[in-house]
Amino acid sequence: MAENRYTSSWSEIVEVTKHTKIEYTFRLAYKGDVKPGQFFEVSLPKYGEAPISVSGIGEDTIDFTIRKVGRVTDAVFENWTGDRLFLRGPYGNGFEVSLFKGKELVIVAGGTGISPVRGVIEHFYRHPDAAAKIKLIAGFKTPDDILFQDDFRRWQERLDVTLTTDDNLGDATYRMGLVTEYIPGLEIKDLAYSAAVVVGPPAMMRFSTKALLERGFSEKDIWVSHERKMCCGIGKCGHCKIDDKYVCLDGPVFNYSVAKDFID
Amino acid sequence: MDINTKKLMKNAFRVTKERGHTASRIRIPGGHLDVTLLPFIQEIAQKYGNGTIHITVRQGLEIPGIKFEDIPKVNALLQPIISGIATRQEAPGTGYPASGTRNVSACIGNRVCPYACYDTTGLAQRIEDAVYPNDLHFKIALTGCPNDCAKVRMHDFGIIGMTLPQFDSSRCASCGACERYCRKKSVGAISMVNNRPNRSAQKCVGCGECVINCPTRAWTRSKEQYFRLVLLGRTGKRNPRLAVDFIKWTDADSIIKIITNTYDYVKEYIDPSAPGGKEHIGYIVDRTGVQEYLKWAMKDVKLPSCAEIEQTLYWGGPQY
Amino acid sequence: MGYRLTESGINELLQELSKDYVLFAPKRYEGGNTFSGVDCIRYGEITSVDEIETDAKSDYSFKEILLPLSQTLFYFTEDDIKQPQSRQKSALVFLRSCDFHAVKRLDEIYLRNGAPDAYYSRLRERCRFVLIGCPKAFSTCYCVDMGTNIAEGWDAAFEKKNDGFYMSSPQTELAELIQKHSANETDFTPSFVAETPVKVTVPDGLSVAVAKASMWREYDSRCIACGRCNFACPTCTCFSMQDVFYQDNGKVGERRRVQASCMVDGFTDVAGGGSYRQKNGDRMRFKTLHKVCDFKKRFGYHMCVGCGRCDDICPEYISFSHIINRLGDAMKEVNGNG
Repeated sequence: MAENRYTSSWSEIVEVTKHTKIEYTFRLAYKGDVKPGQFFEVSLPKYGEAPISVSGIGEDTIDFTIRKVGRVTDAVFENWTGDRLFLRGPYGNGFEVSLFKGKELVIVAGGTGISPVRGVIEHFYRHPDAAAKIKLIAGFKTPDDILFQDDFRRWQERLDVTLTTDDNLGDATYRMGLVTEYIPGLEIKDLAYSAAVVVGPPAMMRFSTKALLERGFSEKDIWVSHERKMCCGIGKCGHCKIDDKYVCLDGPVFNYSVAKDFID
Repeated sequence: MDINTKKLMKNAFRVTKERGHTASRIRIPGGHLDVTLLPFIQEIAQKYGNGTIHITVRQGLEIPGIKFEDIPKVNALLQPIISGIATRQEAPGTGYPASGTRNVSACIGNRVCPYACYDTTGLAQRIEDAVYPNDLHFKIALTGCPNDCAKVRMHDFGIIGMTLPQFDSSRCASCGACERYCRKKSVGAISMVNNRPNRSAQKCVGCGECVINCPTRAWTRSKEQYFRLVLLGRTGKRNPRLAVDFIKWTDADSIIKIITNTYDYVKEYIDPSAPGGKEHIGYIVDRTGVQEYLKWAMKDVKLPSCAEIEQTLYWGGPQY
Repeated sequence: MGYRLTESGINELLQELSKDYVLFAPKRYEGGNTFSGVDCIRYGEITSVDEIETDAKSDYSFKEILLPLSQTLFYFTEDDIKQPQSRQKSALVFLRSCDFHAVKRLDEIYLRNGAPDAYYSRLRERCRFVLIGCPKAFSTCYCVDMGTNIAEGWDAAFEKKNDGFYMSSPQTELAELIQKHSANETDFTPSFVAETPVKVTVPDGLSVAVAKASMWREYDSRCIACGRCNFACPTCTCFSMQDVFYQDNGKVGERRRVQASCMVDGFTDVAGGGSYRQKNGDRMRFKTLHKVCDFKKRFGYHMCVGCGRCDDICPEYISFSHIINRLGDAMKEVNGNG
């Protein structure tokens, strides 16, 4: 008899960080292996499940940065108090940080796209010798939409961080412009020993990968992570299929040499 | 020339503008005709008429330009048509025995139309068989679904086909088509509750859009065919008006019983001085009051348990 | 080797089988279709042979037995979740060759693509198949070109002929049961369709590049995105998850999955309002390529079994076999030599 993979187990909410009115990070008790870029099906019974990528990995905890944009996430925001969320996972391949070892790594993140790569950033923040250099280019709509403000301040100490907003709402302490504007001028020591990670909304990913290719990155050195509707996480429900790939099984992290041919 | 026009009209011929000439009126209940009968119609029109036919608004055929003296020959030639349609007759070869009760008209119905909830022609023929021949001026029309293409609300009896949608939740994939089509094409009787359609029985008009648009057969039609019976619409000079809702979710047997009961009522109350013995039922009801009419109409009628009777009947329309 | 059974003989056999099996077969539901007075043929439980519809193709496939249109995964109360009871008896399913080939496609997704699915596998493990001999293709069938006209590996075979019912089974236990109720032993191999009126050719070198072809734009307006083609298809396997709380007691509810269609609005909706393939023609392309291109790229054989049910059920008269046959020209168009 096959194991029932649709039942979830509950996990205690350890801490909630409120970034914006509609974006909270829930820190949940969790024991087990998990990689940045992987996701869980997070649920509240009666409201449903939603695939949420892991935005942080601690000792016996994992973080989920949840945006209040749908039925399930609305319910999570309104019903989590002092309580717990149900989890099943982790699903997907996640980022293999060892691939970036000793390389110059450019991370381009747009909006909530910061969540799946936060674990990658943290890894190299904690292991500064693991990569030759980390360049993080993160973009948000406005200063009010910036997630992980504290982390950014911390990261800036050790990593090369470019934080930009589409509109700085007149606050000159924030740069204004799209993430793509910072790609052509990237100083890369040796393109043969570099890699890039791009995560964000579809259009942002399209233009960022294009800019990286123009900057001289080769396709095989670029990694992207895709977000799709997913009802199962285990290759059954079919919602996340793109061509012959299942985002839940073969992704969500794809090498660009594969992902470049994706047509939805 | 000596012609009894009363007898002529009762025999389903018309007194026309052209002196000495008449037109023969052929009944086609339900408006559906076997084409093997067409040559007989052609023969009458070519031999005794002026070579044309008129398709009447009540779905009959009228052959104009017939000389009065040819009426017996025309009646003889009408026989295969009358027999072919199985119209009730007094004696073969004598043509139609009455013309007061008009041809029972119907839309094309479920023999062809995907929206229709029943065989309109079949029921029209059943009703014709129950009411004809009769001299009383009754107009009955049937339509397959609440689209009412047959415009039955302009008749004494309007019969609108309905289906009572049956929902099997185990076959529902929550696609929302029923809710969307009901809202956009019908009355918006369906709302989605817990990802499943919830049909308001009160709002539902039984059109079947939910059934037609369900991709999984979660919605199906009821085995029973139901009807909305609307009453006493009329065109005409004094007070034209649309028929009003009388019974929702009634059945064919009840409708036929109500119609035949109404004949008894009209016989009792018709104005004996009405010109040509022709008085719209509605005017009679205006005179006797609705309650008296309903007493007669509902005699021995056994409605299905789901039937809903409208308690107050009120007709509008301009009064001239 | 096989057996001929009389009607009463086969009914006795079915009765005996029904002690251990729920018998499923294509069945005529009177007036059960879209339009009034039109029957629907779909799978249902049968108790006698006259209920098995052998003269017409079923509008919907057997897949509903293994993948119910709506399936409760578990019930939840405030603190507990409880799985519903699964069918106790095994299932014996009567199906044609095309559908028997579809079983392999369902297995591919539900047992092998990623971790096996517990709900599917517990129904599947207790499912046996009786092949319905198929002497003549229906007007929209194209099984021969999809290579699904001949089936092997079934548990028993069945065919209705002029002089009775013919059955055989490669399995001793079933064969003995059949023999027990038979009129006589006889040579019997189930009929297989050798030629279909519809022919299809999946072009060599078909790829997702065909998405750029102009043919899909025709379906932007022709297709109404109703999903009938998916629901009727024996190889479509997608589902959506739903949580429901009961109206009378908001503290309890259930999680269920319902079959999903990649043609219907909402299939690709992600939280926050994003969606992919908004044009119906693009959904048609996505479905088409899954059936005759990318499934094969992943699993080595085509998903489509050529049953033609999608053609039969489309209210807009869009023919899927015709779409397949347009792909060759579409590839030429995108390759620039059209």
